[in-house]
Amino acid sequence: MSFLELSAIKKSFGPVQVVHDFNMAIDKGEFISFLGPSGCGKTTILRMIAGFETPTDGTIVINGRDQTALKPNQRNIGMVFQAYALFPNMTVFENVAFGLKVAGKPRAEIEARVKEMLALIHLEHLAERYPYQMSGGQQQRVALARALAPKPQVLLLDEPLSALDAKIRVSLREEIRLIQRQLGITTVFVTHDQEEALSISDRIVVMNAGRADQIGTPSEIYNRPATRFVASFVGTLNLIEAQVEDPDARRIRMGEQSLAIQDPLSGLKGGERVSVALRPEAATLSPTDRSDAAIPGEVVSSHFLGSVVRTKLKVGESTISFDMFNDPGRTPPAPGEQVTLHFASRDLLVIRD
Amino acid sequence: MSTHTSGWQKAGAWAAILFGATYFILPLVATFEFSLRMRRGEYSFDAYRSVFTDAQFQESFSYSILMAVLTIVIGMLLIVPTAYWVRLRLPQFRPVMEFVTLLPLVIPAIVIVFGYLRLYNSSSLIPFTGSARGTDILLMFSFMTLSLPYMYRSVDTAMRTIDVATLTEAAQSLGAPWRTILFRCIFPNVMSGVLSGAFITFAIVIGEFTMPSLLNRPAFGPYLQLIGANRAYEPPALAIIAFAITWLSVGLLQLLSRFNKARPPKP
Ligand SMILES: Nc1ncnc2c1ncn2[C@@H]1O[C@H](COP(=O)(O)OP(=O)(O)OP(=O)(O)O)[C@@H](O)[C@H]1O
Ligand SMILES: [Mg+2]
Repeated sequence: MSFLELSAIKKSFGPVQVVHDFNMAIDKGEFISFLGPSGCGKTTILRMIAGFETPTDGTIVINGRDQTALKPNQRNIGMVFQAYALFPNMTVFENVAFGLKVAGKPRAEIEARVKEMLALIHLEHLAERYPYQMSGGQQQRVALARALAPKPQVLLLDEPLSALDAKIRVSLREEIRLIQRQLGITTVFVTHDQEEALSISDRIVVMNAGRADQIGTPSEIYNRPATRFVASFVGTLNLIEAQVEDPDARRIRMGEQSLAIQDPLSGLKGGERVSVALRPEAATLSPTDRSDAAIPGEVVSSHFLGSVVRTKLKVGESTISFDMFNDPGRTPPAPGEQVTLHFASRDLLVIRD
Repeated sequence: MSTHTSGWQKAGAWAAILFGATYFILPLVATFEFSLRMRRGEYSFDAYRSVFTDAQFQESFSYSILMAVLTIVIGMLLIVPTAYWVRLRLPQFRPVMEFVTLLPLVIPAIVIVFGYLRLYNSSSLIPFTGSARGTDILLMFSFMTLSLPYMYRSVDTAMRTIDVATLTEAAQSLGAPWRTILFRCIFPNVMSGVLSGAFITFAIVIGEFTMPSLLNRPAFGPYLQLIGANRAYEPPALAIIAFAITWLSVGLLQLLSRFNKARPPKP
């Protein structure tokens, strides 16, 4: 039995249904990310787990106990907000101690636990500071310590890094993941940043309009997207039009070439049109030992992104981006140049709607 | 804007301030000067001594101070949770609250007090005016009504600077019940508003005449009026004392708002 179970959750605000039949089972100690565009219902689901919203239908069970009817302050769930939400009138120490004080823990225990938490986030030296005397990154670490101090059953984070600048965002997400591993706490992390979700999660839930489109490990989500939405939302997607040649032999026809692909073509008939996708990093300008297919194209543009050069090609009707590693000894292809793109037919993904 | 016009504007502004200040300060100086002339032929503080040793002054003044403190404490216990709840759960009610809390400014105190006398007289269902203690309670509530616009506004403004909803949720997720949230997480963060509301209330209660006079309670306002009608040198002394108290309140208010600026409750 899973530690945190969301079964058939539905939520409507008035006539508008924002969460449709959401199901998810999370194991103890797992780090789950909810990834999706703005307004898809990520925060709403998180708030239902925390008890700030009541599901219109469905149940939330944590550790075998039904939480659906419990008030937020009876659930023992740690929550970290985008806007930090530290108590402005309390010092760092008092903020972290708040949950323990409310629980009526003895003074010595509170002091020890707060010290332990501050050591975990490396801010022991700022215990007497007030929130307004600290940077955003420091405040968010304090908010994390405050949420973790009362040993919650589950930790919820709602876009905790969105208000921070890029560098701190990366270092803090790694710190959060490290602390989560150390404590083994079951965690749900909401983000709309795919890189964030891919880099720190055990599993990702890709959400679209109040539904979970796909639940899987980062590599499953990225390499085997289940829907067109997932494929286009996670990473850059190049769609190429092709025709089914032989569904049983998994062969498609792309221009003049007949290609064997890995994805099953079940349900499709010979001659039917199909969209296949190719990730930007799966193509090269010169053949490699993996590549067994090639398509000609015309360079539209080339962008230097540091470690990689992203080039856009016009292939037939569609535009394809691909990345190559920056090679200081070579100039990137110029617009208008005719090139041949090589790739492995195994890397093609069949996109279903 | 050119320096030429701004130079003229500056001069004009100073002239206006000077004129206004004269308008204020001259009567004040004259009042003070007069209050010092009780002893014939020389300046003395005799009028002040006479006021301070008057048992009635001590009584009415301490009565009014007690009233002010009670008004502030009970008023804030009512207003802070109300403003909090309206912000948190009934935001659509805010215009209604604004309107209701402004009513005491529009309705004259005399109208309110006659309303009270009709509603709460000794032969009514709720005979507040039947006993002295009951009248005291009624008087306190009438003071609360009079200071409602200032108290509510200053608390509500202070509440705008903190993210009430998120702080509440943070506290709830940490297991806090409503009482703890209100007194540990909300009240301390709107203290600046509570205090500035409190000082204005204090000034209002100390000087209020209509309510205590018509309810026949021994407050400072009616005492001021009584002395004014019967003595020569004490009334200006009392005026100066009342003035000093008011300015002390305003000064404290300034000090506190500066103190508050030094510690902004950043979200
Ligand atoms: N209290 C509410 N009343 C009415 N509608 C709401 C309420 N809260 C959320 N919604 C609606 O529910 C939908 C989902 O909102 P939610 O906040 O869960 O989105 P989200 O995925 O967290 O988006 P974002 O990435 O922008 O934070 C939105 O269309 C929003 O307008
Ligand atoms: Mg959200």
